Amino acid sequence: MLVAGVDVGSTQTKGVVIDDDRRILGRGITDTGARLAEAGDAAFRLALEGAGVARDDVDFVIGTGYGRFRVEFGDAQVTEISCHARGAAHLFPRTRTVLDVGGQDTKAIKVGKGGEVLDFCMNDKCSAGTGRFLSAASDALEIPLGELGALALTARNPVNVTTTCTVFAESEILGWLARGRRTEDVVMGVHQAIAARSFSLLARVGVEPELTFTGGVARNQAMVALIGELTDLRVNASEDTHYCGAVGAALYALDRLLVGAPAAGEGSALR
Amino acid sequence: MTGKGASGIAPASSELKHAGATRREGRRLIDQWWQELSAADAEARPVANVFVMGSIAEVLRAFDIPMSFPEIAALQTAIRGKSMDYLLAAEDQGYSPDICAYVKVDVGLHVTGREHPHGRLPKPSLVVSTNMCNTYIKWSEIWERMYGCPLFVLDIPGWRGTGFEYGVNGGSFRSDCAYVQGQLRELIVMCEQVTGRAFDVDRLREVMGEVNRMSEMYREILAENKNRPAPFNSLTEGVVHMGVANAYRGHPEGSRFMEAARDELRERVHAGIGPIPDERFRLLFVGPACYTNFRRFVEMFEEWGAVFVAAEYASYGGGGLDRGIHYDLARPIESLAEQILLSSQTSFSGIFHSHQWQTGVVRDWSVDGICFHGVKSCRTTSTGLPDAREWLMRNENIPGLFIQSDLVDARLWAEAQLKNRIDAFFESLQGRKASARR
Repeated sequence: MLVAGVDVGSTQTKGVVIDDDRRILGRGITDTGARLAEAGDAAFRLALEGAGVARDDVDFVIGTGYGRFRVEFGDAQVTEISCHARGAAHLFPRTRTVLDVGGQDTKAIKVGKGGEVLDFCMNDKCSAGTGRFLSAASDALEIPLGELGALALTARNPVNVTTTCTVFAESEILGWLARGRRTEDVVMGVHQAIAARSFSLLARVGVEPELTFTGGVARNQAMVALIGELTDLRVNASEDTHYCGAVGAALYALDRLLVGAPAAGEGSALR
Repeated sequence: MTGKGASGIAPASSELKHAGATRREGRRLIDQWWQELSAADAEARPVANVFVMGSIAEVLRAFDIPMSFPEIAALQTAIRGKSMDYLLAAEDQGYSPDICAYVKVDVGLHVTGREHPHGRLPKPSLVVSTNMCNTYIKWSEIWERMYGCPLFVLDIPGWRGTGFEYGVNGGSFRSDCAYVQGQLRELIVMCEQVTGRAFDVDRLREVMGEVNRMSEMYREILAENKNRPAPFNSLTEGVVHMGVANAYRGHPEGSRFMEAARDELRERVHAGIGPIPDERFRLLFVGPACYTNFRRFVEMFEEWGAVFVAAEYASYGGGGLDRGIHYDLARPIESLAEQILLSSQTSFSGIFHSHQWQTGVVRDWSVDGICFHGVKSCRTTSTGLPDAREWLMRNENIPGLFIQSDLVDARLWAEAQLKNRIDAFFESLQGRKASARR
C-alpha cells in the first residue's frame, strides 16, 4: 500500500511517497511559481520517480500548504499546520514543539504525543521573520541563499537589524554595508532578527522539549544554532524536516486507508 | 435554514408562524431609522451624533432627538461594499492608515457630501460622547470643528484595579454615581437649549421603562442560543439585534422587535432549526466583526459546521442590555447613572477580566472553542485578546483561535491566511472531539 503527500508552499512544493510501514520511499521538490497545479504535479512526479513507482500504484494522496486545493489529483486536503506537526512527530517522536519557518509563514506549533496540534501561533500578515526575509538579504548581498547560514556563523560583531519590513530590510542591509560593516556581520544580524521573531511565536505557545525545526529555513545552520541558543534546547533538524508538511500529509493519507479515519481536514468544503 | 423538528422532519419555513420576522422587521426598522435621519436633516431639525458604547439614548429619546450612530453608519458602508471609497477620501485629507477605520469612513462621508448607501447622513446639532473608547473624544472634536455644534463628553469613572468587584456596594460607587448624575443634569440642560423644549421627567420614565422591557427580551434572545442546535448565529443575526437595540433603545418599536425576534427563535428551537443544517461546533466570538467580507467570513466557519452561539460583541455593542437593566423609575436620574456605571465597567475592565466572562459563557452556552478576532484599526477592542486566549488555553483547556482583519478596511482582509488558520483550528478541534469520544 502506497500513499503520498504533496505540500504546495508559497516558495517551494514538496512531495513524498511512503509505504504502509511509514517509510519514505521517494521525495520530490520544485519551485512553486505561479502555476500551483503544475508545481504540485511536478513534485508528485519527482517523488514517484524517487520511489520507483507509478502514479496508479499510489492509493491515496493528500494535499497541504497554501496551494492544497490546487492539488487536483489529491483525495483530500489538510492544512500544513496539522501536517507539519504530524510529520515532525513522525521524524522525531519526542517532538512537543514545532517551529516551521517557510517562505512567507512562520508557525510555532504545540504538539501532543500523537502528533496532534494542541495550539499554534503564526506570524501576522507580514513576511518579516520568514524565509522571505533571508531571500531579501540574499538578493541585496548577491550571495546565494544556501550560503547565507555558513557565512553568518563566521560573524564576530553582528549588526542590529531593526526594520520590521522585508522590503525595507534590503535598504537597511545596504545602509550597514555603506557604513563599512562586514558582510558576515550584516548577514548574522538578519538571522538574529528572524530568530527573535520566531522565538516570540514559540514563547506564545510555550516551548517544551523536544523542539523540531521544519520548513525550508531549517536547512540553514545559523538559524538552527540561533533557535537553539534562544530556547536553550537542542533543536531537531534533518534533510527530511524540509519535507515535513508532505510527510505529515502522507501519514494522514495512510490513516485514511488503514483505519478508515477521516483525515483531519476532511469535513471542510473544498475551496 | 434547515433542521429537524421533534418528528425528525424539517418543517417548511412557511409552516412557522414567525418565520422571517427578525430579518423582515429588522430591515424595516433600520430603513425607517435612516428615513427619519434624512428627513431631520432636510428639515434642519436637531440630530445628535452618539456612540454605541454609552449613547445615553434615554435622555436624548426623552427629548425626541433623532440619534445618528457613526459606527453603525460606517459598518453599513462596508456591508454594501462602499467603505473604501469613504476611507480613502479621508486618507486623501491626511488621516493616517493606522487610525480607527470607522473614523475615516465617517470623515470620508462628511467630506464627500454625506451621501450614505442608506440615505443622507445628517449634520449633527449636538454630539454626545463618553470616555468608553479612547478615540471617541477626538472623533467628536472633528464634528465640533466641522459644524460648530456643542459637544458633551460624559466622563465615566473607570475601575481598572485587580479583583473585579465593582458594584453598587463598591467603595467609590456612591460618589461615582453622584458625579455621573451631575453630568447627566448638564446634558439635560444642553438638550433643552438645542431643542427649545423643557425636560419632562415622566417622558424619561417612559423611555427607561421601554429599555427595561427591551433588556429583558434581549437577554432572552441571547439565552435561546443555549439550545442545541442554536437557533441563530450571534454574528450575522446578532448584528440585526444589536442594530435595533441601539437605534431603537427606549422606543416601543424596539421592544416589540425584540419580542418578535425572541418568539421567532423559540419557534425555531421548538422545531429544531438552526442557521446551518448540521451544527458540529459551537463557538464564542470575541472582538468586533469583519464587515468588508461579512458573509465570507462566517462561511469559512460554517463550512466546518460551526455556529457562533455567543458573541462578546453582543455585550459591549448592545449597550449593557445583556446584563439585565432594571431601571428604578421612581428615581430615574440616579438609576440611569447607576446603570451607566455598571454597564461601562465591563468595557473598561474587559482587558483585564474578559477571560472570566468568557469562561462563564463557554460553560453556560456549551461552547467548544473561542474565535478571537483582532481588528487591526481598533486597539481598544483588540488589545489583550492573545493574552485572554493563552490564559483560557492554559488554565481552562478551552481551545482558542486568534485571527485578524478589520471592521471596514478591505486592505486588511487576507482570505488565504485567514482560511489557513481557521481550517487548522478546526482540524485540531476535530481531533479533540475524536479523542474525547475514545
